[in-house]
Amino acid sequence: MFALIKREIQDHIVYFIGAAAFAAIFILISIPVVGRYESIKRQGYDYRTPEFTVGIGVPVVAIVIIGICAMGATQMYLDRTRKISALLSTLAVSRSRILLARIITGILAILTLLVPLTIAAVTLLRLYVSPVLMYPGMVFEIFIAVFLMAFACYCIGLQTGWNSGKIIPTLGGIALTCIFVPLLFIKGFGLHIVVILVLFIIASLLRTWHTFMTTSL
Amino acid sequence: MDENVIKVENLVKYFDGRCVLDGINLNVPRGCIYGLLGRNGSGKTTIIRILLGLEPPTRGQTFLLDAESSELSAKLHSRIGYVAEGHNLIQNYRVGRLIKLCKDLSLQWNDEFFKHLIETFRLPADRRVKELSIGMRAQLNLALAMAIDPELLIFDDPTLGLDTVARRQFLELAIDLIQQQGRTILFCSHILSDVERIADKIGILAAGKLVVDCPLEQLKERVKKLRVIFPESAPQNLYLTEIINQQIDGREMVITVANWNKQKQTVLETFKPSSCTEIPMSLEDIFIECTNPNPVSITG
Repeated sequence: MFALIKREIQDHIVYFIGAAAFAAIFILISIPVVGRYESIKRQGYDYRTPEFTVGIGVPVVAIVIIGICAMGATQMYLDRTRKISALLSTLAVSRSRILLARIITGILAILTLLVPLTIAAVTLLRLYVSPVLMYPGMVFEIFIAVFLMAFACYCIGLQTGWNSGKIIPTLGGIALTCIFVPLLFIKGFGLHIVVILVLFIIASLLRTWHTFMTTSL
Repeated sequence: MDENVIKVENLVKYFDGRCVLDGINLNVPRGCIYGLLGRNGSGKTTIIRILLGLEPPTRGQTFLLDAESSELSAKLHSRIGYVAEGHNLIQNYRVGRLIKLCKDLSLQWNDEFFKHLIETFRLPADRRVKELSIGMRAQLNLALAMAIDPELLIFDDPTLGLDTVARRQFLELAIDLIQQQGRTILFCSHILSDVERIADKIGILAAGKLVVDCPLEQLKERVKKLRVIFPESAPQNLYLTEIINQQIDGREMVITVANWNKQKQTVLETFKPSSCTEIPMSLEDIFIECTNPNPVSITG
């Protein structure tokens, strides 16, 4: 299994580098922004979320989601076109292991992005007063919801990439992603969104697993 | 444990409504070298892919080493070496990386033998697979298949793209392997002289059916090509069954008959031919006769 995961990481290293770089840039930008909020608050002004944070936030989320979705799609697409699984499954490897290694790699890429961001968020919250009202366990809830959202988008990518068609599956994938991301803003970070996303992920993984196990390689 | 390492039962495969395999039954016993022949598109590769679980069958079942093809475990895969037609290697990998990956994913690896093969074939580890010639890719695929010391080897046109020297090297290697007891080989090739040289049993696919499935020697005995000269013009109908091919030219008739026996010889003698001589047939000749549009079944 380790060899399979290693192969997946090496083949898709660009996504890991991208995730790490993105996290680093985001953290570097966040530090002065949070510092500025702090100074505004200290001066006694009424705090409001500045419009530019929404202006930056939306494209940032879009890039992250598209990137994660693209990773799943690339993994499956390259496998199909380069006949990677056709070779691997003639070695001492089962198809389910190939898929499992792929999914673990996807999770690792998402964690490469989210873990540094979460650590940075926790650290900044300890250093500065939070610009929004925080309750115990909120960071964990946000982390879980964002992780599940990213993983759901990755699952959409997996399905899109394995499909032999190009236009319809891609449009379908984008449409599903467009439905999911606003869901996070509508439902918030609570248990509701976790249940919805977990159900979607299970259904999506079952579909991918079934397709991958029964299709010709 | 079943003595048949490969079992195919009533295998049917359709591609886009077109029947490629129509009720194939095939058994390959342990230690046998089975040469599977057929024209392009006859379904040889499809049978192999279904056997390895790479392709789902439409109907029927296939078994490798007592396990159903769709449920082959990683452990069983480690006992099977496969050289694919067109050599399914990851094209953008360097040779060294591909070797390492295969080695890491194998449960057993004969490093000494593998190094010997790599040196024999002079394969460069630093080049990308796509930069190798077709022959070198075939050699690399072969070396990777052999390195796991497989109990069962499946070769799908393994010598395709190899030059004469490399082909000879491959055959000698195969013969070497044959001498190791208990090893079974399923061998598909278009080079019939190669198959003739190493196979014990032959199967010929034509029109989706396995029209020949018997030992090579038996096949040569059972398919007869005769030149019969009659005192007057040759009769249009000899009332013989299982005629594969028949050509008449005045007094001369050249006839190819399957499952030749004494009874058929007696029937032929009732026509009182002036002479009857047997034309020796190579496997290639038999193959051409058996893959005509109306194939006759020869099973043993």
